[in-house]
Amino acid sequence: MRQVGVIVWKDLLLELRTRERIAAMGAFAVLAGVLFNFSTDTSLVRPQDIAAGLIWMTLVFDGLLGVGRTFHIESEDGAMQGLLMSPAPKDAIFLGKAISNFALLYAVALLVLGVFMLFFGLRIGSSPLALLLALALGSLGFVALGTLFAAVSSGTRLGETVLPILVFPLLVPMVIYGAGATGRLLAGRPVAEVAGNLRMLAAFALVALGAGAALFRFVVED
Amino acid sequence: MISATEPARSTASTVETVLEARGLVREYGPVVAVDGIDLTLTRGEFLTIFGPNGAGKSSLLRMLGGAMRPTRGTVAIGGTPLDFSDGEWRRRVGMLSHQGFLYPQLTAEENLRFYGRLFALDDVAVRARRRLERVGLADRATFAVHKLSHGMRQRLALARALLHDPDLVLLDEPFTGLDPAAAGVLRGVLQELRSERRTVVMVTHNLGEGLALSTRVAIQVRGRLAWEGARAQVDETGFERFYHSIVDGRT
Repeated sequence: MRQVGVIVWKDLLLELRTRERIAAMGAFAVLAGVLFNFSTDTSLVRPQDIAAGLIWMTLVFDGLLGVGRTFHIESEDGAMQGLLMSPAPKDAIFLGKAISNFALLYAVALLVLGVFMLFFGLRIGSSPLALLLALALGSLGFVALGTLFAAVSSGTRLGETVLPILVFPLLVPMVIYGAGATGRLLAGRPVAEVAGNLRMLAAFALVALGAGAALFRFVVED
Repeated sequence: MISATEPARSTASTVETVLEARGLVREYGPVVAVDGIDLTLTRGEFLTIFGPNGAGKSSLLRMLGGAMRPTRGTVAIGGTPLDFSDGEWRRRVGMLSHQGFLYPQLTAEENLRFYGRLFALDDVAVRARRRLERVGLADRATFAVHKLSHGMRQRLALARALLHDPDLVLLDEPFTGLDPAAAGVLRGVLQELRSERRTVVMVTHNLGEGLALSTRVAIQVRGRLAWEGARAQVDETGFERFYHSIVDGRT
C-alpha cells in the first residue's frame, strides 16, 4: 500500500505542476455543456429527460481525454521502465495510477454535474449524496478500465486513438446504470429506486479494478 | 597479448558469483538479437562489452537486469533465478539505460525520493542527498530535471540507479553525449564502484573509457560474445585494431 501511495503522490504532484490533463478536461466539460445546451431544443424535449445521458457521455469522453494520457508522463524519459524495474508489485503500480486518475476524474465529474445543472437548469434532487456516490462509482469503474487500456494503447503504434475502440464497448453497463441512477435522482425520485443501479455500478467498479490489477502485469511486461 | 581464441574466464569456486546467465536468446520475430550467451560474473568484476550497433548489447543488458524476458535461457543473481514478480530480486539490480527513467517535471531530489520510496528504503531523504553529492549535483537538488543539462541528467540517472546500493550495476552507453567534465564525474563514480567491489556490466562504444575501468572485456557481434578475456590480457594500444578485426570478421 505504501508504494501505491507513492505513485499517487507522484502523479498528483506532476498534475498539480503541469495542469496538463485537468485543464484540458475542465475546458472540455464546460464546452460540452455549452454545446449541448445550444444544440437542445427545449421546446421539444425537457432538459431533465436527456441531461443524465449527456452528463455520462461527457464524463466518458472527458475521461478518455485525461486517462488516455496517464502513461504519457512515464514515456518522456523511460520512467515506465524505471517503475517496472522497481520492487513495486505491478498491481500496486496499477492501483496507484488508477487512484490518481480517479481523483482527477471525480473532480471533473463534479464539474460536469455543475455545468449541466447550470446550463440545463437542473436541481440536485432530494438525495445529493446518492448522486455523488453514483458519479464516484462510475468514475472508479471508468478509471479502472481506462488505466488498463491506456497501458495497452500506449504500447501500440496508434496510441491514444485506439483507446476509445477498446474501452467503449466495455463501458456500456456503466453508462446504462449510471445514467439511469442519475436521471432518477435528478428527477427527485427516492434513493431506494436507484439502489439496484448503485449496486451494479459498485459491482462494475470492483470487477474492473480486480481485472485491471490482475491483468496489468501481462500488459506492461515485455 | 590479445588472443581471439581466449576462452571465457572460469569462475573460482571460492568467490561469490553475483550474476549467472545461461543460454540467453532474444528474438524479435525473425531477428535474433542475442544468440545463446553464457555469462558468469563474480563480486567486484567490471565487465565491459564492446560491439557495433545492432550487436544486441542493449538487449543483453536488459535481459540481465530483468527489464526484458529472454526468449530462451536463464538469468540468476546471487543464485536466485530471475522472477519477474519478485521485488526482492529487483533490489539487487541498478540499471542506467539510454533513458534516465526520470520525471522531467520533478526536481532532482524529488525523483530520487520517489524511487527511494518505491524501493521502500529507509532514510530516503539522507540517502538522496548523499547520492546527489556523490554525483556532484547537491547544488541542483531543487532544480526540475527538465532544466538540467544532458550531462547533469545522466549523473542524476546514475544516482537513481545506485540509490538502493545494488549488487549488480548495469550501464548502457553511460558516456554518450557527456562533456569532459561530466564524463570525469561519471568516471570517478564508476571507479568508486570498482573500489567498493560492486559487480558492473557496462556496454559502450567508447574503447578508451571501457578499457580504463574494466577487469574483463568482451566483444559482442551479431548477438554472440565473439571474444572475451581479462583486461590484463588486453594490449591497449593494439585493441582498436583487434576490435575491428573481430567485428569485421577477419579472425
